[in-house]
Amino acid sequence: MSIEKFNQISPSEFFYSNRDLAGFSNPTRSLYTAVREFVENALDACDQKGVLPDVHLKIQAVDPEKHDPKHYILTVSDNGPGVDSKHVPHAFGTVLYGSKFGLKQARGMFGLGATMAILYGQITTNKPVTVKSCTDGQTQDKFEILLDIQRNKPVILKHSTKPASKKGLSVSICLEGDYSKAGGKIRDYVYETSLITPYASITFDDPKGQKFHHPRFVKDIPKAPTIIRPHPHGIDVERIRRMIVESQFEIPSIDDAMIEKVRRELGLAKKNLGFESMMARVEKKWKTLTRQVRVVISIVSFLGMDLERLSKIKIEDIDVPNKKLFYWDFGDSQSKSVDIDPESSYYKQLTNTVQGEQLTTFLTKRFQRVGPATAVKFAEFAQLRPEKRMGTLSNQELVHLSDSLQKFDAFLAPDSSCLAPLGESPLEKGIKKFFNPDFAAVVQRPASAYSGFPFIVEMGIAYGGDIKSGGPHVYRYANRIPLLYDEGSDVVLKVVNETDWARYKVKGEPPFLIVSHICSTRIPYKTAGKENVADRPEIERELRLALQFLSRKLAAYMSKRGQAEMAKKRANLYAKYIPLIAEFCTELAGKKKKPDYSQILEQSAPEIEAPNAKEAEIETK
Amino acid sequence: MQRRQRLKQSEKKKYQDKQVDVLEVLREHGAKIYRDLEDGQFPKFSIPSRSVSNIVYDKRLRQYILGSAATQRNSRNSSQLRSFTQLIWLAFFANRLTQEKKSSTLRDVYYSSQAFAVEFDDQSESDNIIVDLEAVTSKPREDFHIFPEERSSIFGDLDIEYTIPGYEGKKMNLSNHPDGYSIGPSLTTAELVDTSAEIVIAIEKGGLFTRFVEEQVDKKFKSIIINTGGQAPRSTRTLLKRLHDELSLPIIVLTDGDVYGEHIAMVIKSGSANAAHLRELTVPDAKWVGVWATDIEKYNLPTIPMTESDIKRCHDLKKDPRYESGIWKKELEVFLRIKRKAELEAFSKYGLTNITDKYLPPKLELAKSL
Repeated sequence: MSIEKFNQISPSEFFYSNRDLAGFSNPTRSLYTAVREFVENALDACDQKGVLPDVHLKIQAVDPEKHDPKHYILTVSDNGPGVDSKHVPHAFGTVLYGSKFGLKQARGMFGLGATMAILYGQITTNKPVTVKSCTDGQTQDKFEILLDIQRNKPVILKHSTKPASKKGLSVSICLEGDYSKAGGKIRDYVYETSLITPYASITFDDPKGQKFHHPRFVKDIPKAPTIIRPHPHGIDVERIRRMIVESQFEIPSIDDAMIEKVRRELGLAKKNLGFESMMARVEKKWKTLTRQVRVVISIVSFLGMDLERLSKIKIEDIDVPNKKLFYWDFGDSQSKSVDIDPESSYYKQLTNTVQGEQLTTFLTKRFQRVGPATAVKFAEFAQLRPEKRMGTLSNQELVHLSDSLQKFDAFLAPDSSCLAPLGESPLEKGIKKFFNPDFAAVVQRPASAYSGFPFIVEMGIAYGGDIKSGGPHVYRYANRIPLLYDEGSDVVLKVVNETDWARYKVKGEPPFLIVSHICSTRIPYKTAGKENVADRPEIERELRLALQFLSRKLAAYMSKRGQAEMAKKRANLYAKYIPLIAEFCTELAGKKKKPDYSQILEQSAPEIEAPNAKEAEIETK
Repeated sequence: MQRRQRLKQSEKKKYQDKQVDVLEVLREHGAKIYRDLEDGQFPKFSIPSRSVSNIVYDKRLRQYILGSAATQRNSRNSSQLRSFTQLIWLAFFANRLTQEKKSSTLRDVYYSSQAFAVEFDDQSESDNIIVDLEAVTSKPREDFHIFPEERSSIFGDLDIEYTIPGYEGKKMNLSNHPDGYSIGPSLTTAELVDTSAEIVIAIEKGGLFTRFVEEQVDKKFKSIIINTGGQAPRSTRTLLKRLHDELSLPIIVLTDGDVYGEHIAMVIKSGSANAAHLRELTVPDAKWVGVWATDIEKYNLPTIPMTESDIKRCHDLKKDPRYESGIWKKELEVFLRIKRKAELEAFSKYGLTNITDKYLPPKLELAKSL
């Protein structure tokens, strides 16, 4: 008989052993992924605070003479809000620590990738991450941090401060990479990022001393997304369990501040009252008390203590089923308990707190798009009592609740205010600036949802100008991230490839491109590497509708262009042949002077006005 | 010996006038286009339609001619602009050739165009334009000094006087060289001065032509011998016509004894549908004297069976109005009946000179009565 040994591993360890999942499979891919993670974090930080981003990316070889793969120093600086110095060690030295856990559109979900990059750098070079942060525009904190992989804890090697003039964050890691192979992708990434982030200024200094500068060409930052509650369709049992834990009215910790608050609300700031007289005063003032104070008073009512004594204990547990209240007495240094009397008028106050909200309250307060009427209707649908306390739900009931939430179809569609599409005008400006096309059109589809996650599809199409032939060239974005790898299996590619372009008068090796941007609180990536989007039918449908709309615009333009080209061709034909005819007939007729054929040429000038290439109207909607 | 010298002054005059005439026609077209351009009008050509439906047989002229249908080639129409330019270029080029008395070939024309930024995709395109110009002006291309590549030859007592530059006034007798003289631009345009011949024998094959020269058929039968080399080229047909019209010589045609031979004779006599737009190429009085289908039986000639395509050709020709009567119809029917054919050389079975000694004399007699 063997004994299996179960070890809990830290998240750091988990990612250490599964780093392929996060895009750190080899030096080429890892360098690219690290660049992405830091640039995206910088842009996200700026977006959140409504700052027009200035992002500076720099990659230097530690020893330029060596051959790839070799060690590189990767530095990304931004002008964002910075990170509070007390959070820096945890933010950059712990896996799964971050500020992005709320439900809204952001490039990264949890700030996980950056830590992965740091972890990767540390594994390959054994060098710490250097973080410089300034949150107030006056002082800059500089940290050098290593990750303790087994314990998932930061180890601060150095910490210093110095005066600074600007807010912002700069993160620098040393990692093994292969720039000769990754360079192309990194440059593409920076280029494509600046297309979808026209309000950002991005500079890239590459290891060979080349500078790539993409200036900002839109001055307005898109409206920042709001953090919203989840939609009932986008939920599972585990998520509900976590929400219940979060929603349970916590027993307030009874510290000095709390006691001070109780005194204030009871008007006992100056004097001390005994237990009995205090409770009498409570009854008079009950209606004016805050909920937290009421909970404290309820506890006190069972303890039978005055406030003086209360400051010398710590509540350990409230055991509702056994009607016991456990507390730690600092005076005697031991755990004690008192009974809770169910007959007491304070009993309900206490148990409600512990057992959590009623089902309907839980639904209306914790979810988006659920009103009291819908909540009651849902309770009926799920055959649960509307006033059922969430804390009392059994495991089975939880599963049933989760299933019912999925099945109930009377919920309104998810709220899209948590999404931040780029907008038609900036997208159009970007396309025009980048490709100088003869024709461009953009469209933003109305918000839609898959599995309770809202999403919006934005798309642009452009033809001619600086665009290379051999199209359609597809630029894929998701939450303002360019997707460069694994395009073969992507849903956007699928939709584009299934289009019969000949139907839209696009033939041969046409110079045209498609820019697709999917915004969602959760992009259904096929892999953790965030490179291709899975073909959810709802998303595929929206992509298709957007593409069809734009293709029709393109077709209209193409037929105009075709006519203009024909007219131009014809005019050229006349310009070529009429002078020849004149020359030949002059000699034939035995004349010396050529006839004046200007009238003819005027008549043969193109009748259809060629659409002026650069002023081609950009139609939207 | 009686010489047929400048027998028909009027006919000769006609030929010289023709050159002037061509230049005049071209100048008129040029002037018209010049005026149109000045007036802001898109110039155009009216080209008689050469589609099958517009080719009709004219019994009075005894040849195929084009009907009244015509197509417009308008420079306003962008799809016709190119071919319009090609056509006027060709007129311009033909004008130069004619004025400078230079000759050129179909292939020459194709290449010459490139010097004037007028492009032709291939020679067949330029050949077509040449036919267009023939149709517009009703003049054969030889009148514009454009000649085909293929050459046939002539032998016999005929004095000519060259008119081409460098040889003007130079005379030549066409019996001085036993291989014969090839019929090219210089011969076609030469003045036909004088002859003792009383008949022209056009023969389909070079081998027999040589035999005829060797056997002195020219002297024995007072004839001019012409090798057509299969279907007679247009320059040869022009010369035949001139020999007939200017020197009043009867023309007889001797071909293989098959349906193709019969048709070679017919084309000399009344032209081809391909050249229905031209009226200067036919010798309606020309006579086909053999080898007839009936000769095959009559002279017991060695034969070869007709192929399917031979038979099909017979049936095709039966629909041709020219084959609806007389010897043409009769022989065609005999061919179809015996389904065999004989070549001119078949007479060699009875000796190499059999054809000239035994076959030709009665045929020449017969020709007078045909």
